[in-house]
Amino acid sequence: METSNRELQAAEYLERHRIKELVSYLTSALLFFRPKPREYLISLLERLRIAKVTGVAFPFFMDNSNIVAMFEMMDSSGRGTISFVQYKEALKTLGLCTEDGDLKDDGHIITLDKFKEEVNKRMKEI
Amino acid sequence: MDSTTAPHRIPPEMPQYGEENHIFELMQNMLEQLLIHQPEDPIPFMIQHLHKDNDNVPRIVILGPPASGKTTIAMWLCKHLNSSLLTLENLVLNEFSFTATKARRLYLQRKTIPSVLLVQLIQERLAEEDCIKRGWILDGIPETREQALRIQTLGITPRHVIVLSAPDTVLIERNLGKRIDPQTGEIYHTTFDWPPESEIQNRLMVPEDISELETAQKLLEYHRNIIRVIPSYPKILKVISADQPCVDVFYQALTYVQSNHRTNAPFTPRVLLLGPVGSGKSLQAALLAQKYRLVNVCCGQLLKEAVADRTTFGELVRPFFEKEMAVPDSLLMKVLSQRLNQQDCIQKGWVLHGVPRDLDQAHLLNSLGYNPNRVFFLNVPFDSIMERLTLRRIDPVTGERYHLMYKPPPTMEIQARLLQNPKDAEEQVKLKVDLFYRNSADLEQLYGSAITVNGDQDPYTVFEYIESGIINPLPKKIP
Repeated sequence: METSNRELQAAEYLERHRIKELVSYLTSALLFFRPKPREYLISLLERLRIAKVTGVAFPFFMDNSNIVAMFEMMDSSGRGTISFVQYKEALKTLGLCTEDGDLKDDGHIITLDKFKEEVNKRMKEI
Repeated sequence: MDSTTAPHRIPPEMPQYGEENHIFELMQNMLEQLLIHQPEDPIPFMIQHLHKDNDNVPRIVILGPPASGKTTIAMWLCKHLNSSLLTLENLVLNEFSFTATKARRLYLQRKTIPSVLLVQLIQERLAEEDCIKRGWILDGIPETREQALRIQTLGITPRHVIVLSAPDTVLIERNLGKRIDPQTGEIYHTTFDWPPESEIQNRLMVPEDISELETAQKLLEYHRNIIRVIPSYPKILKVISADQPCVDVFYQALTYVQSNHRTNAPFTPRVLLLGPVGSGKSLQAALLAQKYRLVNVCCGQLLKEAVADRTTFGELVRPFFEKEMAVPDSLLMKVLSQRLNQQDCIQKGWVLHGVPRDLDQAHLLNSLGYNPNRVFFLNVPFDSIMERLTLRRIDPVTGERYHLMYKPPPTMEIQARLLQNPKDAEEQVKLKVDLFYRNSADLEQLYGSAITVNGDQDPYTVFEYIESGIINPLPKKIP
């Protein structure tokens, strides 16, 4: 069955506004904190809206401690650096980069600071 | 970091919360609206949608041939569900709309209006507050496939579609007795639905165009069109026979619109089977466990296993077994929690039977956090129970279990040596059944959303009833 034009259009809409990530984030927040659903969702969405308008960096998907934790999980030997491949995979898992591969492979090692910086930069772009 | 390398241990509170608050359906509805309207700015749209909070309001379409009772059913449903009724007449007579004035002229001339105009009117009307907050019922719209498609392109989707059907001859005869009350607009019938108050009786008028010939013509047109409208609503359509008393049709329609459709929400069944001894709980539990891979938790069995395995709990339980006394609730709950907390129970779901026996045990279960999400009461009349239990026999040589009526032993030799379990004696059974019935009223009150199943049928029929109770979402009760 070929995908109809409307279906492709809908898929493209989802991609453009990153709806899947947003819904995934909302659902995870709901299941984790288990509040009253509607009020909580409305408050989250309001905060997002304001963050977008004012340009303030909203702790969107992960905040600083999560980034550090993720880095430490990947850095198994505790040297303070991760390989470029790991770095790319991590960004893909976070949904912050697609298959473009527009990351420069500069000297193979990525430190925690560089990782944090890159993640935050990409978050702002959303 | 993914679930294939190390299994995710999801705390059971999460799926319970998800089920109770219908999170999946909430998100699904929001996503549906996003994709239908595709706003440029999704976040304010989602905020607005959440504020509206109208996922569960009635959105009903009622279709049917003339004289099938559409308008009557639609009006009754409106009153019952407190929604707004939309018909061709009241859309056109709407005084606040510019489009309506245009349409009115055409309507008065030709009794119909072009589809484009009609659909515009509908769109305007549905955007008003009362339709958004309390739902809507469309009576007799869409009549043709063109109207159905136009409504669909605007993003207006009903949740339930009811099609009334009856043989043509019945309809033609019925139409001859139609009378209208000019003040309220309600439709009455000379034979089937005569108003009790005499003042209404005096007011009634005979509507025009109810002669046999006209009804037959309208029926022809209806049949031509409806056949193309029905495929537009595949999963939400229900056909109800209009050839029965009005109240029956209404009752069926009401039950249907109050039921939710099956969703794709993830669902781990936690089933509780209640019923007197001999009602078939163990058998149904075994069938469910086999088909749906649930964990079969039988309370009595658990205790016996604990004693046999000589676990710590088993040692505590054994003195009660030896003295033939009932095990105290606290000990029972400890053994149960141990089993229900295991990973396979949490992940796959469970079928529980044999407990709770009374209100205290039920409250203890709740406080431990094991809330079943489907509760079934198996009703079996006392005589059937006696028949099922007192005729049980066991062959001491082979260990085979027989039943003198349902599974008789093949040879006379075996029959001669059969023994009966003393627990299956008539008095014992009577005692146990009485014990259950004393507590059942309390339990029924506690588990308000329980489903009662007639247990007096053959096991596979009962199983199918239970299955449908588990798979279909619980019906909403009108507050």
